[in-house]
Amino acid sequence: MTLDTVLLLYPEIVVLLVATWTYVGGAFATRESARWNWFALGGLAVAALQLYRQLEPTVFTDQVSTFGPMTADALMYLARFVALAVGAVFVLATMRSTPRGQSGEIVGSILMVVAGMMLVAGATELVTLFLALELISIPTYVILYLGRRGAGGDEAVTKYFFLSILSSAVMLYGFSFLYGLSGAGGLAASTKLADIRASLVAAEAAGTLSPLASVAFVLVLAGLAFKLAAVPFHFYAPDVYHGTSSVNAGLLAVAPKIAGLIALVRLLFAMPGVESLALAVISAVALLTMTLGNVMALWQANVRRMLAYSSIAHGGYLLIGLVVALHRPDDPTAQSGLAAALLYAVVYSVASAGAFAALAYLARGTREVETLDDLAGIGRSQPGVAALLAVFMFSLAGIPPLVGFWGKLAIFTGPLDVYLASLPSDGAVVADSALALGQWYLALAVIGVLNAAVAAAYYLRIVAAMYFRPAIDDAEPQGGLGALAAATLCGLAVVAGGIFPGVGLKYAQSAGRAALAPSSEPPIEATAHAVRGVSRLPTPDR
Amino acid sequence: MSTESLVLLATIFLPLMGVGLVWAVAPSGRSVVRYVALAVSLATLAGAAWLVARFPAEGIAEGTEAFATVNAPWLGTASGIDIRFHVALDGLSLWLFALSALLTATSVLVSWTAITERVSEFFAMLLLLETGMLGVFAAQDIILFYVFFEFTLIPLFFLIGIWGSEERRYAAIKFFLFTLAGSMLTFLGILAIVLNARGVGGELTFSIPELTARLAANPLGFDLQLLIFVALFAGFAIKVPLFPFHTWLPLAHVQAPTAGSVILAGVLLKMGTYGFLRFSLPMLPDATAAAMPWMLWLSVAGIVYGALVALAQGDMKRLIAYSSVSHLGYCMLGLFALNRLGMQGGVLQTINHGLSTGGLFAIVGMVYERYHTRQIGEFGGLAKRTPLLATMMVFFTFSSIGLPGLNGFVGETLVLVGMFQRGWADVDAAGPPAGLAGQYQWISVLAVTGVVLGAWYMLWLVQRVFFGPLKEPHGHDAPGGHGDGQGAIQDMNLREIAALAPLCAFILWIGIYPQFFLDRMSDQLDTITDRGAAALERHEAREAIEVRMASESRR
Repeated sequence: MTLDTVLLLYPEIVVLLVATWTYVGGAFATRESARWNWFALGGLAVAALQLYRQLEPTVFTDQVSTFGPMTADALMYLARFVALAVGAVFVLATMRSTPRGQSGEIVGSILMVVAGMMLVAGATELVTLFLALELISIPTYVILYLGRRGAGGDEAVTKYFFLSILSSAVMLYGFSFLYGLSGAGGLAASTKLADIRASLVAAEAAGTLSPLASVAFVLVLAGLAFKLAAVPFHFYAPDVYHGTSSVNAGLLAVAPKIAGLIALVRLLFAMPGVESLALAVISAVALLTMTLGNVMALWQANVRRMLAYSSIAHGGYLLIGLVVALHRPDDPTAQSGLAAALLYAVVYSVASAGAFAALAYLARGTREVETLDDLAGIGRSQPGVAALLAVFMFSLAGIPPLVGFWGKLAIFTGPLDVYLASLPSDGAVVADSALALGQWYLALAVIGVLNAAVAAAYYLRIVAAMYFRPAIDDAEPQGGLGALAAATLCGLAVVAGGIFPGVGLKYAQSAGRAALAPSSEPPIEATAHAVRGVSRLPTPDR
Repeated sequence: MSTESLVLLATIFLPLMGVGLVWAVAPSGRSVVRYVALAVSLATLAGAAWLVARFPAEGIAEGTEAFATVNAPWLGTASGIDIRFHVALDGLSLWLFALSALLTATSVLVSWTAITERVSEFFAMLLLLETGMLGVFAAQDIILFYVFFEFTLIPLFFLIGIWGSEERRYAAIKFFLFTLAGSMLTFLGILAIVLNARGVGGELTFSIPELTARLAANPLGFDLQLLIFVALFAGFAIKVPLFPFHTWLPLAHVQAPTAGSVILAGVLLKMGTYGFLRFSLPMLPDATAAAMPWMLWLSVAGIVYGALVALAQGDMKRLIAYSSVSHLGYCMLGLFALNRLGMQGGVLQTINHGLSTGGLFAIVGMVYERYHTRQIGEFGGLAKRTPLLATMMVFFTFSSIGLPGLNGFVGETLVLVGMFQRGWADVDAAGPPAGLAGQYQWISVLAVTGVVLGAWYMLWLVQRVFFGPLKEPHGHDAPGGHGDGQGAIQDMNLREIAALAPLCAFILWIGIYPQFFLDRMSDQLDTITDRGAAALERHEAREAIEVRMASESRR
């Protein structure tokens, strides 16, 4: 730990300090509660400012890209900005919906989750990565516990707690194998991902790759699949979302998913040699996750359960991007596949967070929106929120010109590209296995788009309930203006991102490139490029 | 940027600005909203008319720059994905573009009193839909096309779902999901086209003319073409709709408000035929040639089936909806006859159908507004009560069944002559395999029966509703007054005449001087036809070789 690392982590430190202050102060304060939200927003703004200042390339000249356990690359910076934005949205959304006297705890926990997400983004060392992931999990327990609703809520929190602990343990077990593998071949064992990668590359080249690498991969994937709510570790999601408040459900749908994806990306490309296994397993998981999520969502009567399955399904789509990246990690296709996955995660998060915030706004007193009946007729009584929710639903369904469409465009281009590249050109002979692999990618694309069409069915149910049915309950929404503001911000992002998608695509690509930058390259160059790629210029093609 | 480009840009986005305007004046009351919507749609129509007037009379040859091009970067080259905002008009899109503007103005007029709830939202959706439609036809970038193509689903979903009849919710959702399911596969097909048509340096292009040129220079392999053809087919065939993918259409039509039906039949279905014409035929000629018999059979099945089902309908709107299935069969038959006359007839028929069926739906809407029912059995002799409406109905019916002198005659004749050429005249020249020629002959004959059936169901409808002894529903015919206190039934008023008069003018114009319309597109159609004919020859040669090899191996 050097001063550089501390400087790099300045924004995270700010966020954590504010979080701690909120926690401690919240215990003493008994007065009106929204002030903690404002305080937290201020903290997030300061952190964002610090982060922005770090982007000045001069700050990084003559410094190595790895700062102790952290790596500063485009992926890290982008994910940190996303985390801060996610934090701001949820801090806004909880402004009114929290019970009296708990505001400090909830806001503090959200900030801790944000700090955890930011740390995951840059962590390239096993212990740091694990701690960062736990920094997301533990405050989540608190949030869920505080936001529980009735006996079902208690059960959901307990379920989440135990499963989360279990998944962390499984992941940690996987990490222990990785640590052991890094010491194979007489090298000193290391927890740094770059060292693990180097040692695995050497072992693979020597033909002595231990089968334990596969074991490590499976354990790590199992642990992170819980965070992504991917099949078969998805089943907690509907119960937990159902049992908690809309805002909490939104946080759960967004924060672990982004962090889990980034952690998976970091770890996956530190494990060369397991690519073919990873490809098979992850593509199967992706197929099952999106199909099961969408089909189950069709049958749900509760809105939060429906969106829980929807969030499961979206986890499946973004895994497609990862599968594309696994095909040939050194290929440009892989970069765009990874970029697509990252873009999709953000695009999904914006719409999903917005949808949950809008639902939170529509709560009537302590009664949250539960069934479609609660949404009936709000197209007339609450035209603004209804329009926002409709925008989120259409974006999640991938209808242009909303941002969700560009996410789908990016995701589905990948497997199609791999398939077309696998076709024999001009009578060249191609191995059957390569052809079969190509067809597998085609199947992934076709099943993916058909899933998108199925998904539209339940998104439309929500829209139809809002606009085509008469109101059942005319009570005024009481979720507070904060939630409305959060939903509005997300709505603006969804529309603006849909009309001007170029910016998001460009940044996602630089992040994808950074995540795949081979570790053999001098790290200093990789960083310099990547950092500049974020701040201003497009990275020149190398 | 030339004046034409600016006008095109303004025409496309004028309705979108109109949405904001309608929103802004919403508090001032319904009638202000109506006039604003009308003004916006008329201004858009004026823009479209000006563009048509300036469009070069000899059309635009493929490979030259299209008319009124606007070409600006959209996603930016930095990301390596050079999706552009590229709009222009050419022979294939000009008339559908103009038709969209025309029918939107008609729709605003026919919704004047029919829509009484949430008036400002209704007109906002209608104008939003107009921007979508104009964008679909003007787009010269394949992704931009798809963006507009999918976007049109949203406003129509609301138009059907909020302002439709009893089963509107079900109809809206079914319409949306059906078309979305197809167009998602189309999306994959479009991506596959882009990924396959890489340039020399492997760079991607999304420009439709550039893609067409590249694929003309380096056609894709046959299997790949077939795969992409099927993917594109999924979306476009549902949109058209081609038999047996038509099941969403009658429901959507019957449940939609009048304006929705007019736009749906007049323009949105044409996005399907346009898709075939713009992408499948020019970019995948070999697959088109191979799929030709299938496509022709499906088209003719739709013609006959749609006509037979229309005969059996008791609801006027449903009858006309099924007549759409039949008529769109002609459009597809013409396109896939893959010869000059058929192609011209097919495209002209898409315009004709928009005019005549759009008008028919409007008239049914007017009858419904007066009597609140569409059941044919409840009517009789309306010509006595509403002579002007009856005259209009007869006129549009004649247009629809192809009376000489009106537009339908020209289109149907061209299509049928094209098909007959395919069945008989070309046999000696190019010589399709004997079996296929027999099939084509059957298809031609069956297509003609569609004309007869079409005359039957349409004239029968007119006869039952408008002629014979006067019979009105709801006790309107009871002595001394009108059952539900609606006041006397009025004949068409000035607004209703104004809604239909432009359609009548175009029906006559196309009927009398179709050359004006054909000239502007025939160049491009001929290029597509030539490419299709060449592909057909390749296909037949390949088939012949296969047949020979098969027979040799048998020996």
